[in-house]
Amino acid sequence: MRLPRFSLLGFLTLMILIFVNAPFLIIVPSSFTSAGYLSFPPEGFSFDWYLKILDRPEFIDAFFFSLQLAAITAIVSTLLGTLAALALAKYKFKGRDAINALMLSPLTVPSLIIGIAALLFFTRINLGGSFLGLLLSHILISIPYVVRLVLTGLTSFDYTLEKAGYMLGARPLNVFWDITLPMLRPAILSGMIFSFLTSFDNVTVSLFMVAPDTTTLPLMIFNYMQESLDPMVASVSSVVILFSLVFIFLLEKVYGLDRLFGLNAQQH
Amino acid sequence: MKKQIDVQLKNVQKRFQNQVVVKNFDLEIEQGEFISLLGPSGCGKTTTLNMIAGFLDPDEGELLIKGKRMNGVPPYKRELGMVFQTYSLFPHMTVGENIGYGLKLRKVSKQEQAERIQKVLELVKLPHVADRYPKQLSGGQRQRIAIARALIVEPSLLLLDEPLSNLDAKLREELRDELKRLHQEIGVTTIFVTHDQEEALSLSDRIVVMNYGNIEQIGTPYEIYNQPKSEFVHTFIGKTNRLPGVVSSIDNMHVHVRTENGLMIKATQSTGNWTVGQSVTAFIRPEKIKLTTQSEKDTSDNSVNGTLDIASFLGAFTECKVSVGSTLLDVRMQEKVWTGNGQDGETVTCSWSAEDVFLMAEGGK
Amino acid sequence: MLKRFPYLFLLLPALILLLGVFVIPMLFILVLSFQGVEGQFSLENYKTIFTDVYYWEVLWKTIKISLYTVFFTLVLAFPVAMFMAKTPGKLRGLVTMLIICPHLISVVIRNFGWVVILGETGWINVTLMDLGLIEQPLRFMYNEVGVVIGLTDAFIAYMVLAIATSLYSIDQSLYKAASILGANRIQSFFHVTLPLSMPGVFAGITLVFSLSMSAYVTPALMGGTGVKVIPTLAFEQIMAVLNWPLGAALAILLLGCTVLLVTLFSRLVETKRYKEVFSS
Repeated sequence: MRLPRFSLLGFLTLMILIFVNAPFLIIVPSSFTSAGYLSFPPEGFSFDWYLKILDRPEFIDAFFFSLQLAAITAIVSTLLGTLAALALAKYKFKGRDAINALMLSPLTVPSLIIGIAALLFFTRINLGGSFLGLLLSHILISIPYVVRLVLTGLTSFDYTLEKAGYMLGARPLNVFWDITLPMLRPAILSGMIFSFLTSFDNVTVSLFMVAPDTTTLPLMIFNYMQESLDPMVASVSSVVILFSLVFIFLLEKVYGLDRLFGLNAQQH
Repeated sequence: MKKQIDVQLKNVQKRFQNQVVVKNFDLEIEQGEFISLLGPSGCGKTTTLNMIAGFLDPDEGELLIKGKRMNGVPPYKRELGMVFQTYSLFPHMTVGENIGYGLKLRKVSKQEQAERIQKVLELVKLPHVADRYPKQLSGGQRQRIAIARALIVEPSLLLLDEPLSNLDAKLREELRDELKRLHQEIGVTTIFVTHDQEEALSLSDRIVVMNYGNIEQIGTPYEIYNQPKSEFVHTFIGKTNRLPGVVSSIDNMHVHVRTENGLMIKATQSTGNWTVGQSVTAFIRPEKIKLTTQSEKDTSDNSVNGTLDIASFLGAFTECKVSVGSTLLDVRMQEKVWTGNGQDGETVTCSWSAEDVFLMAEGGK
Repeated sequence: MLKRFPYLFLLLPALILLLGVFVIPMLFILVLSFQGVEGQFSLENYKTIFTDVYYWEVLWKTIKISLYTVFFTLVLAFPVAMFMAKTPGKLRGLVTMLIICPHLISVVIRNFGWVVILGETGWINVTLMDLGLIEQPLRFMYNEVGVVIGLTDAFIAYMVLAIATSLYSIDQSLYKAASILGANRIQSFFHVTLPLSMPGVFAGITLVFSLSMSAYVTPALMGGTGVKVIPTLAFEQIMAVLNWPLGAALAILLLGCTVLLVTLFSRLVETKRYKEVFSS
């Protein structure tokens, strides 16, 4: 890596990067404190607060519940989103633009309002507080990402590749499995990982959809924090951070974070 | 013995939203023939190819391949080979897998696949690239692989959709020769779509010149170049000087034409039936005009004096623009044959034979 | 049916989900917000909101916090985006990574970090008191300052990405052209970079403003009971007071207000000249 000479811009950037990453720079070290209270810099070094998580089965349950929820959300939203994106990209029909806009619209409405609307409506149809309701609302907020990613993948897709397949004697289903799908794999896979993260991190929508006996991990931390602030929040958070980083790393490998967020790296 | 007809298009028509893009297309292609569809973009050549390939269905007319009616038959059941402008190699498959894909679909055994892949790779002179990915090959190599992929299934017909257009000039020529060699070696019936007249002239047994969905002319490269049947064919193939005028007199040797700018031109009688006073257009190809200095003696049918406006040396030849009165003539000189110094503004004589004047009646064919 | 409309088969599952979990519920709360105590149609929820000064104050506070957040994200994001646009290769990738990573980690955890930093016994206060600079801990938390800091951290990535996108699309030869014409670096910033970054800046402002207006988690954690914004009020009405029609009305009001202000903003900034330059 070629480091540029000192510049004001570089210095400002460094400061701002420290600012946005400050929470993690604080949380992770303070989770290793040996004191009984939260402090930074941490006092001593121990894994006490990690071991204490094991005494709190509700945290572990919430962790596995979140994991399950995120996994099912990722699979279902990837399936539905990919199919929808294929329809939108391959067929020209009346109202296509409207349906396209509708597919992406959960992104433009604040999740608070999505949560409120889903809660009030689901309660009316007796789905309030059910796992199904929670799952459906998570799928809803993940679908737009999948649709957008797969659509982007399809716009850069060279359709003559499909033609080439047909000319070689491949039937439509063969062409789809052997050519279209492998070409879309990065987009689909990153849509799936992104859905997983969206669900795994979500608080605002979950807030309205969970039942008292089943709660997601972020929501658990949210509630716990409002009552007490002990180093266990730090240790649980550190586990979640580590876990999220694994998936972020996967996203970077599969698709590239810059591309995922619309920054094409072709310049320079 | 009459050759077998491989492809027949009978009165084929195709419309896109009320616009006819291919009109009354009639064509018979003999077995082993190399035929080019030539024309500017939007002339319907690609649409015609897509109908033969099966990506489009004709609205009217019949398409027969090897005597079998193909209307409505999907492309994957037609057993054709096709090479695309953008190579269209599957980026997620190695070269070997790309070439073998057609065989895999035909459930050919692994061993036979490997043998045939190796054979076809040798045919396109790239025997050692089977394990590489298309990305690791150059443009010219990729197109060779695409050709190999199309040929390996032994198609009844090879379709080439502007396969040379994405290559740079030198490679294009190299691959053009390669296509010619392959065609001579294998003898597969080939339909080649191009907008490049040079490619069409050099490769084809016959050329179909198309414009606005119509066939302008079907003929051998020689016929197309030297005996164009329409103004379009004449102007599309090669550069030309276009001189509209009126037939002023006819004698037993020549038709005399007075151009709009007052130039007198002699053309041979044989080009058609002309009447005095008829509006015609005369065409003369730049390379048929000879350029001399005034002092030299000239015995050509046509000879006019003018000033040399611009002379651009282009290596193999020199392109000149000569003002003759108010007419500007394009002249292409193979070499510097006249004794003048080729300076702009020099007075020169342009001369050409009456046989090289191509006359066409106004407004008609 | 499927033969004629093959796309319907592909679209249907997603469409049903969107209708059932999004479109119908949204319409449902719209209707609900016009429901009186006995279930009849009435405007009383909106009347309650509009006639009570308290709601106006909370709404104003929500807007104010959002505007502060927009301001700080903009000021902090611009240098980062510029640095990213100017820096090639791996360093740019690293900066991108360090901006996006926190963005993909739960906001609850980020807020928790800020509590540890800003709280009364937090890192800053302890350090300052140890140094003898202050006697009483400063109050960063459970007030608007804390909320704005939390929101700025939460949404800065959107602003950076929006501005960076438009900076990346500036043709680099424009800088060469400006410099040959005699512009120094500051002039070329004000005459080339800034004007051409406007689409990104406006997009970022719109996005961060809308997100801040409806943020619930950060005001709840960083503002505590001390800072009331419309989202926390709506949450209270629905989850604690169980006055659903009023909660629905607050949600609709929030959405309407945000849309109105954002539309007003784009009307204001997208002048005729702006459209001539940036419309594609």
